[in-house]
Amino acid sequence: MKKWLSIILGIMTATGGFLDVGAFATAGVAGAKFGLGLIWAMLLGTVAIILLLEMAGRFAAVSGKTYMDAIREDFGFKFYLLPLTSELIANSLMLAAEIGGIAIALSLFTGISWHSVFPVAALLVWVLCWRAPFSLIENVPALLGLVTLSFVVAVFVLGGPQPEVLSTLWKPNIKQGELANYLYLSAAILGAIISPYLLYFYSSGAREEKWSEDDLVANRVTSIVGMGFGSLSAIALIFLAAIVLQPLNISASTLGEVGITMAKPFGVIGSLLFAGGLFACCLGAALEVALSVGYNIAQGLGWEWGEDKKPVEAARFNLAMTIFLLVAVAIGLIGIDPLQLALFGSTITALFLPISLVPLLVLMNDRQYLGDKTNRRFTNSAILLVLVIAFVVAAVSLPLEFLSGGG
Amino acid sequence: MWRNTGIGFLLLVLLVMVTGCQATQSEFTRTAGDAGAAFAAASTTITYVHQGKITKAYASSAFVNYQSELDGLDQSLPSQQGAPDKPAIKHLLDLYKQAIKAVDNPCLDASCDWRRQVEALNRASETFVKAGGS
Amino acid sequence: MPESDQQKEDLSIGDIIDNQLETHDKRKIGRVADIVAEWREDGSLVLTDIVSGPQALARRVSSHLRPIFAFFLRDRFEHRIPIDDIDDFEPTLHLRKNAADYEVGQSDRWIADHILRWIPGSGH
Repeated sequence: MKKWLSIILGIMTATGGFLDVGAFATAGVAGAKFGLGLIWAMLLGTVAIILLLEMAGRFAAVSGKTYMDAIREDFGFKFYLLPLTSELIANSLMLAAEIGGIAIALSLFTGISWHSVFPVAALLVWVLCWRAPFSLIENVPALLGLVTLSFVVAVFVLGGPQPEVLSTLWKPNIKQGELANYLYLSAAILGAIISPYLLYFYSSGAREEKWSEDDLVANRVTSIVGMGFGSLSAIALIFLAAIVLQPLNISASTLGEVGITMAKPFGVIGSLLFAGGLFACCLGAALEVALSVGYNIAQGLGWEWGEDKKPVEAARFNLAMTIFLLVAVAIGLIGIDPLQLALFGSTITALFLPISLVPLLVLMNDRQYLGDKTNRRFTNSAILLVLVIAFVVAAVSLPLEFLSGGG
Repeated sequence: MWRNTGIGFLLLVLLVMVTGCQATQSEFTRTAGDAGAAFAAASTTITYVHQGKITKAYASSAFVNYQSELDGLDQSLPSQQGAPDKPAIKHLLDLYKQAIKAVDNPCLDASCDWRRQVEALNRASETFVKAGGS
Repeated sequence: MPESDQQKEDLSIGDIIDNQLETHDKRKIGRVADIVAEWREDGSLVLTDIVSGPQALARRVSSHLRPIFAFFLRDRFEHRIPIDDIDDFEPTLHLRKNAADYEVGQSDRWIADHILRWIPGSGH
């Protein structure tokens, strides 16, 4: 019974924790600009994250090691610097964007400018990283994030997409000069959904909770069902933006515009549901990003780590996390709109995905760590294909976006 | 294998450079399109607050972002790459001047003429979106 | 010695380098950054110490970085642990003594005592 409750909790937290500021941003802009023409990227990203999350959990449960432990031990210190550096760059942008997302949500509730609320949001994230137990961080924001399932309801209340919008599902409407933007958004979607920080956090969490081979079924169910349901909210957001914003020529360049899609079917309640979902999801993601960086540094360098320890019991781990938060705050205080920062950060993540994830593929085929629980050929091929697509799309679109004054 | 990979990558870069001009918009086109979208969002926000679909706090917050997006556009737009001739720019800037008043001081309660603001924003939005190639 | 026992005795550099160091009181203090070996008169090469710390790590990245790190860190952050102190060579290297007995990882204590103690909720 306890095991089933734990599985249900895992599914709920995976569902509610699927969205982050990157997903809100990319789904909103994708729907507003290209209708349903980028749903393929969302679906591809979802399949990839399901496979990757299951792998990360399986690795931690069977080997007794976290992903970063194994990178350092198997590939050596020089190689370890590569994923560490790519994560520090991508995650500093994403953490600034997530804190910005929290600030935007608070701003939508109160009317106070998000710039003024930003330090409050950063302090909230730090306090929770500093003292909150792992179970609270893992569960509470994600459970609150279940409110985003109201996006799915909203699509039905609006009567679904108009026929001309529906046709963009198989025939994206890419106007002259917008191909670069389309590719940029597809890379951003892949980077937003396939977030390496999630895998580092998940594998560390599996060690915090001392998973073993007995937890493999729960891991698989959580990954497939939880992430699958979670992606429904993200896909629903694309539908909402396509139905509500595209006909009005609104391009969802700020998070508040994305929330208008919920105001149309549900009025004030809808806009508040959006703001509440944005707050919960960005808070959960900010905590995961900050912790994953702390885990990466501490595990890679062999320091004491653990969210359930007092800060002085894992001093270097907590100091590293605090310094990283300060860096993200400094980036955020520059004042770039969080949605734009999220798009850019997600695309950079997509560009760096091979560096972050190819080691996991190698480790998942190592019998010394996993015995007979190594990957099947299909899983290896599927992940490799997604990594190649994400990297090529990001590498092509980033320079084009910059050249045309975007990005 | 590495030689072939290198050649393949260089071909990809060449392809990107050659097709780049078709795959991207001019600076003016992008800016005009974004401005049109922002004016549309502002118009919808004012309309929704008066229809009771969003709170005044929500709308105030949204307008902070619209202001960031749109302030100063009259300075930068005329000199952007791809900008049209002077009469066309003047027409856009005239519409901009009317609409930006609504963005900087949005009418979010019954004490002011919010319908006139919505009209100015809609006019600006339509023209800017058209200039942005839509 | 039977072949199976012989195999248990054989270790490769990969079984030591980059592995986690854990003390007797179950504290993680760092990872193995390098090794020190002695070339003895009888021709044998004997592993004498393991090395941990940022200076040794710098040398792993590039030999040119080591003197730079040594200069800025005043050569105080390269710590050697005698091989005799290692209880066993699992994926994690278990050490015989407690954390307080090793120089490696003392920065955890220093940071706790001099920086974190001033922040409320640190548990100091």
